[in-house]
Amino acid sequence: MAPLLELQNIRKRFGGLVALADVSFAVRPGEILGLIGPNGAGKTTLFNCITGIHAPSGGTILYFGQGRSMRTNGFKPEKMTALGIARTFQNIRLFNSLTVLDNVRIARHCRTCSNFLGAVLRTRSQRAEEKENVEAAMHWLAFVGLARHALADSGSLAYGDQRRLEIARALATEPRLLLLDEPAAGMNPRETRKLVDLIHAILASGVTVVLIEHDMKLVMSICQRLVVLDHGTHIAEGPPAEIRENPRVIEAYLGRGAVHA
Amino acid sequence: MGHLNKRLLLLPGLALLIYPLLPGASDYVLHVMTLALIYMVLAMGLNIVPGFCGLLDLGYVGFYGIGAYTAGLLTIHYGLSFWLIVPLAALNGALWGALLGAPTLRLTGDYFAIVTFGFSELVVLFLTNEIWLTRGPLGLPGIQPVTLDLSWLRPDWYFEFYDKAPNFYLAALLVALVFFVMGRMEDSRLGRAWYAIREDPLAAACCGVNILHYKVIAFSISAAIGAMGGCFYARWSMFLSPDMFKFWESFLVLCMVVLGGLGNIKGALVGATVLVCLGEVLREVLAAAGLPPETRFMAYGLIMVLIMRFRPAGLFPAIAASGRANPLLVVLGRRIAAGEFSGEKDDARGTSA
Repeated sequence: MAPLLELQNIRKRFGGLVALADVSFAVRPGEILGLIGPNGAGKTTLFNCITGIHAPSGGTILYFGQGRSMRTNGFKPEKMTALGIARTFQNIRLFNSLTVLDNVRIARHCRTCSNFLGAVLRTRSQRAEEKENVEAAMHWLAFVGLARHALADSGSLAYGDQRRLEIARALATEPRLLLLDEPAAGMNPRETRKLVDLIHAILASGVTVVLIEHDMKLVMSICQRLVVLDHGTHIAEGPPAEIRENPRVIEAYLGRGAVHA
Repeated sequence: MGHLNKRLLLLPGLALLIYPLLPGASDYVLHVMTLALIYMVLAMGLNIVPGFCGLLDLGYVGFYGIGAYTAGLLTIHYGLSFWLIVPLAALNGALWGALLGAPTLRLTGDYFAIVTFGFSELVVLFLTNEIWLTRGPLGLPGIQPVTLDLSWLRPDWYFEFYDKAPNFYLAALLVALVFFVMGRMEDSRLGRAWYAIREDPLAAACCGVNILHYKVIAFSISAAIGAMGGCFYARWSMFLSPDMFKFWESFLVLCMVVLGGLGNIKGALVGATVLVCLGEVLREVLAAAGLPPETRFMAYGLIMVLIMRFRPAGLFPAIAASGRANPLLVVLGRRIAAGEFSGEKDDARGTSA
């Protein structure tokens, strides 16, 4: 089966610092892939390269979401979003002074097209698009369970709700591939359980998920495969059970004592 | 609160609109009111860039000047009608907005502010030195007032706007037009893209917003509105000179926007009214105190300091929702209030887990 995304020897340097060194792996359609590694391993940098925030210094990113292989190195973030790759951020980046609904409506930007004239004249097509836009946004808000907060300020939401709003915002761009950067960070156990259900629902809707997460219990329980990064290099890849036993991973990431834990 | 606000603004607004028709209406008051209307146009136009997009623009007067001179020169040399000149001046403003914005809007924060500042200084230098076109410091006198030629409807319907009252209503019309356009933009895909850029450019890009593109659009529309204001100013004052478009004008308009509340359209109206009136009061007070008129800028500075200290978001902070009055959102609000979403699955999830 053809992959959805294939990374070949991705390198990223920031001045003298090598953040990523020849990272290669593939994301298969329909799977949930965990990306783990100690702090500073280059996980978020990799997300930034995939989503066009950084251009990789070397290597090739191949994306197959448009029915053919496409080299997306150096594409702009908005282009990647239009192509069907959406993401959330490690430190929540909502549009805080806007409403919950508007946060999600903005994410519909590349799936809508009305312009200045449409806005000023409020043409029939613009009104139809706005209506559809609200419905789509409400659909995704209901999907993550935030519909009744639609008109609240997003900055006033509880922490876990903000994380879920970010996921709704990413889903509203209608992605094929969703990149979640530490979605469970700072969540309490109840919120984390809700998050697990949500991720399963996202998978069931046909979206492929790549997940960066430090909560090992969460990662081991929901990911089909794991990729482990350490100091910008790819050190292991495989199903959770295998990764758990991999001595290099234990050494780099879990520490020696973890085997007996 | 919203209703109260509306009523508070509506009554004096209506009273002011009737004022020019009263028999004892003073020319001076009408002049000041018209001036306030021009600054309302400018403040609303400027509001797009710092208020909606979060970019500091210190050179707005450059576009005002471009619009004014475009209108002045087209009137003097070609005798074009005001109604034709307004769109032309707006297009010229938008053109320069795009030309300046496209290369420089990649800059962020302070760097962009410096570029806009430089641009407005450049406009003044151009107006001062290109004497073949603008007559330089001598200024551009003899600009015809606005005319309204309806003689094709009735032979005697030909009006020249020499009086204060017609100009006042024309300016009010311009304010109404800009206000309408601003309101429509605010509650649209375009406006939301701008808000996203203001709130978090990186997240906006990841939501599919082409940041540079939308910044240039914002800058051009803002420039076009400034040029429209300049256009009216030229035909109203009937005289232009480069020193009318100095940096202080940019600063004054920016003060109005900040005073009213960044990103709030009505706030810009209030800010313009307050500062224009204050300017007139200060003119009297400072003269009486024997101080030079330039000291008024100290008063503006003091106001900015006080605003920063006591109302950092302005008199009318921008409200989170664009277009809360939009029927779509009103309906949605009712559905939420009716409890349509109260039994959401997330609660079920929480309890079953």
